Amino acid sequence: MNWPSWTREPLVHFLVISAVIFTLFAWRGNEVDPSSRLIDVDRDLQGQIALRFERTSGRAPTDAELDQQIAQYIRDEVLYREALRLGLDQGDPVVRRRLVTKMDLAASAQAEVATPSDDTLRAWFVTNEEHFIEPPVFGFDQLYFERARDALAALKELNSGSEWREIGEPISLPPSLDRAPPREIEAVFGAQFAAQLNELDAGDDWLGPIASGFGHHIIRIRSKEKSKAPDFDTIRQDIENQWRTATIADRKQKAFELLRDAYRIEVAE
Amino acid sequence: MCRSHRAAALAGLASVALAGCDSLESADASQSGDGEGTIELAEFPDRPYWGDTHLHTDNSVDAFGFGVRLGPEEALQFASGQEVTATTGMAAKLARPLDFLVIADHSDGLGATRRLYDAPRLGVLAMGDDTLLRWYDMMHESPEQSQLAIAELITAAANNNLPEALSDPARQREATTEIWNTHLETLDRYNKPGEFTALAGFEWTLMPNGNNLHRVVMFRDGSDRTGQVLPFPGLSTTAEQLWDYMSAYAENTGGKALAIPHNSNLSNGLMFEMTMPDGSPMTAEYAAKRAASEPVVEVTQIKGDSETHPFLSPNDEMAGFGVSGWELGNLPLTEKTEPEMFAGSYVRDALKRGLSLEEQIGANPYAFGMIGSTDSHTSLATGHETNFWGKHSGNEQSNETRAQDAQNLGTRVGRFGWHYLAGGYAAAWARGNTRAEIFDAFARREVYATTGPRMSVRVFGGFDFSDEDWSDDWVRAGYSRGVPMGGELTGRGKSPTLMISALKDPDGANLDRVQVVKGWIDNSGDAQERIYDVVWSNMEKRAKQGGKVPFVGDTVDRANATYTNDIGAAELRTVWTDPDYQEGQRAFYYLRVLEIPTPRWTLYDAKRFGLELSEDAMNDAVAQERAYTSPIWLRAAAPLIMEEG
Repeated sequence: MNWPSWTREPLVHFLVISAVIFTLFAWRGNEVDPSSRLIDVDRDLQGQIALRFERTSGRAPTDAELDQQIAQYIRDEVLYREALRLGLDQGDPVVRRRLVTKMDLAASAQAEVATPSDDTLRAWFVTNEEHFIEPPVFGFDQLYFERARDALAALKELNSGSEWREIGEPISLPPSLDRAPPREIEAVFGAQFAAQLNELDAGDDWLGPIASGFGHHIIRIRSKEKSKAPDFDTIRQDIENQWRTATIADRKQKAFELLRDAYRIEVAE
Repeated sequence: MCRSHRAAALAGLASVALAGCDSLESADASQSGDGEGTIELAEFPDRPYWGDTHLHTDNSVDAFGFGVRLGPEEALQFASGQEVTATTGMAAKLARPLDFLVIADHSDGLGATRRLYDAPRLGVLAMGDDTLLRWYDMMHESPEQSQLAIAELITAAANNNLPEALSDPARQREATTEIWNTHLETLDRYNKPGEFTALAGFEWTLMPNGNNLHRVVMFRDGSDRTGQVLPFPGLSTTAEQLWDYMSAYAENTGGKALAIPHNSNLSNGLMFEMTMPDGSPMTAEYAAKRAASEPVVEVTQIKGDSETHPFLSPNDEMAGFGVSGWELGNLPLTEKTEPEMFAGSYVRDALKRGLSLEEQIGANPYAFGMIGSTDSHTSLATGHETNFWGKHSGNEQSNETRAQDAQNLGTRVGRFGWHYLAGGYAAAWARGNTRAEIFDAFARREVYATTGPRMSVRVFGGFDFSDEDWSDDWVRAGYSRGVPMGGELTGRGKSPTLMISALKDPDGANLDRVQVVKGWIDNSGDAQERIYDVVWSNMEKRAKQGGKVPFVGDTVDRANATYTNDIGAAELRTVWTDPDYQEGQRAFYYLRVLEIPTPRWTLYDAKRFGLELSEDAMNDAVAQERAYTSPIWLRAAAPLIMEEG
C-alpha cells in the first residue's frame, strides 16, 4: 500500500488524532456531557465493563459481579460528574499529571511500535552520520615504566637500536595490541592513555613517554586505520534503535511546540 | 463511554498508520543467538569483561513504583555507553561502558505496576480492590507518593499480602508473555558479539516473612530459546522448584540457565542453611542440585556487602565493609537479625559450611564463585562512587539530602542513605564478549566481584609455580599447569601454590594489598578461616609489625572529596605457597584485593551539594574498596577418601 509521504509525518498524525478526539467530544457531547443528568448504561457500555473485568480477572463476570461492577460504575460516574461540576479537577496534581502523560503518549505512541522503512532510515542515517562513524583502530607496542625519567632513558636507548622486548618493567599489560578500537584500549589502559594515543600518528619510531593510571609508557604505533563511515546494511539495527529513540523525543517535543504556539505565555520578571 | 470510544479511535488510527509500513523485522541472526561462532576468540581468557547482572528497569514492580520511567531500551543504551536522560531529567552517560548487562526485572508482576499505572482508572476500579486503587492513585500523584505506595507494596509482598491481581500467576500470564517477548527482542537488538552482550534474565523474589532469598536467573541464549519460557514466579514457590524450572528449560530448549543468590546479608540466616529449608537434614541430592544450579553468588551490591561480618571473623581487621545498617535485620526490617543467624547470611561462612556439609553428606551445596552487581532500580548500571545514581529514582542525584535521609522502605528505623553502597560490578574472564563466553565464565566460576573499581585480578592454583614463571608467558603457564579462579585442585600431599596478579583500575586508585582468605576443616572436624597478607605496596619499607602489615595511609581530603595515588601500587604480584597446609586437608582459597582509602559517594555528595554529613555518616565516608575472587578449592586426593584433617 502506497501512502503519500505527508501521511507519514508525525505532526499530521498528531493533528488528525487531535481532530478526531475533538470531533468525538463534540459529536458525543450530548450523551457524555458532564453537566448532563442522564447516565445511560447501554449494552455497549455494559459490554465494555464486562470485558474489562474479564481482562483483569481472566474470566467473564457472573451476573452478580456484573451488577456490582455496573453499580460501581454508576456511583463513580455520579461522583465524577459532580466533581467536575464543582471544578475539583482544577488544580489537582493527579489529574494534571495523568492528562499530561496521556498527551505525551498520544504523540509518541506510534513511534514506539512503528517499523520504519529503509528509506526513512537511510535518510536519517545520512543526516546523523556522525553518530555512526566507526572509530579508528590502532595496532601498537608499548613498554611500561613506573617513573617518567626511566621511560625517557629507555626511549633514547630504543631509538639507538636496542631490541625492544628486552626493555621495560614487568606489568600485567599486553605489550602489543592489534586492530584495537578505542573502547578496548580504554578498558585495558585507561582513559588517559587512550586519549593521548589518539593524538599520535603511526610510524616506525618509538614515542612518548605518555602517562596512564599505571605509570609511564613509550609506544610505537604500527598502524592507525582512520575513522570511516559504516555501511548502512551492517548497522541497520543500530540506526533503527537510535531513530526510534530520537523520533519519540522529537514527536513529543513537536507536538508540544505546536500546541504551545497557540498560547501567549507571560512570565513575570 | 467517551473514554473507551476515544481509546478505540486512537487504536484505529494507529493501525491505519501501521498498515503503510513494512513488516516487522527481527534483529540480525548473529545478535539473536548465543553468539557461538560469531567472533574470533582468544586462546585463553584475555581480559576481565565488566558487567552488571542485576539491573531493574520500569518493568520491575518496585522500580516503577519508586518512580523510574526508563525501560530496558534505555538501560541497554546507557550500559553500552550511550547518553540517556535519567528519570529525574539529568543527562547520564557512563564514562566507561560496560561489556555486558543482565536486566533482571522481578518475575512477579513483571510490568504490573507499569500496566497498573498506564491502565485507565476505570479498569483499576473494575478490579474491585481498594488497595490496588489506592496505590494507583498514589503512583499518579507525585514521586513521593509513588515511593510510599511501593514501600507498602514491598511490605505486602514480604507479608504475603499482595492483592491477587499482582500475585496470581494465571492472571499475570498473558500480560507477562507480551512484556517478556518484547523484552527479549529488545535484548537481541542491542546484543553485539564482540562489543556488548545483552543477556536475558529475571529476578526470582522469594521472601518468606521478609527474609531475602532472592536469586537472579540468567540465560545463555537468544530469544529463539528464551522465548519458549516465561520468568518463574517467586511468590508461593520454592528454590527447588526454581531449579526444576531451570533444568526443564535446559532439557526442552537445549539452552542453559543459572541462578545467582544475592543479599544473603538480609536473609536472617536462611540463605545458606546447614539443613533443608524445612529444617530436616540436608540430602546429597539437594546439595548437588543447588551446586549445579547456583555456581555463583552476588557478594556485594547497593544493599550492602555479604562477604563476612566482624562477628564471624573477629580476627579479620578488614571485615565489616558495607555491613552497618544492613546487619540490623531482614530486608523490610520486620525481623531483627540475631548473632546466631549471621553464619547463614554471609558468603565466607557459607563456603566453610559447604566444606563441612561435603564431609558429612558427600556433596557441597555452597561451592560457589563470587560476583558483584548493582541491584540498581534506576535503569542505570552505575557502580562507582563518583557516579552513584541511588538505589532507586527517588534517590537520583537530584535528591541532595539522600546521603542523610532515613531509608527504611517505609518500615522501621535504622537504615540511612549513607548505608547504601555505590557498587558493585561483575568481572568475567572470557575469551571474547559473547553470550556464550560470558555465561560459560560464570558457569565455571572464572569470575570475581568488585565493590565498583575495575581492577584486573588473576589467580592460578597449582603445585609447581615459582617466581620464574613471571619472566615468561605466565598466563599460559597458569592455564596449562594449574587451574584459574573457580577451579578445583586435587590434593597431591603437598602445599598448593597460588600465582597471583592484581592490577589496579587504570582510571582509579592504587592498590594497598592482596590477601588470601583460606577456609578449611581442622582435625576435629570444625571449619576454620585465616587471612594471609601475601603481597602489599612498598613492602621493603612497610615491613610487618607484630605479624601485621602496617596501615597503607590515607590521602583523602575530607573537605574536598579528593585523594591522590601517592601511596599504594599499580600492580601487586606474588607466588604464594600455603605455609599451614596439612596432608589430606580440604580447603578453599580466595583473594581479597584492597585499594588505598578513597572517598565514598557520600563524601562526593557532601562536596557537590555543600552538605554537612552526620557524625556517623562522616565516619563511614572513606573506605578501602575491594575485589573478591572466586575461590580455588583443594579437594582430597582422588579417589575420595574421608581423611580427618
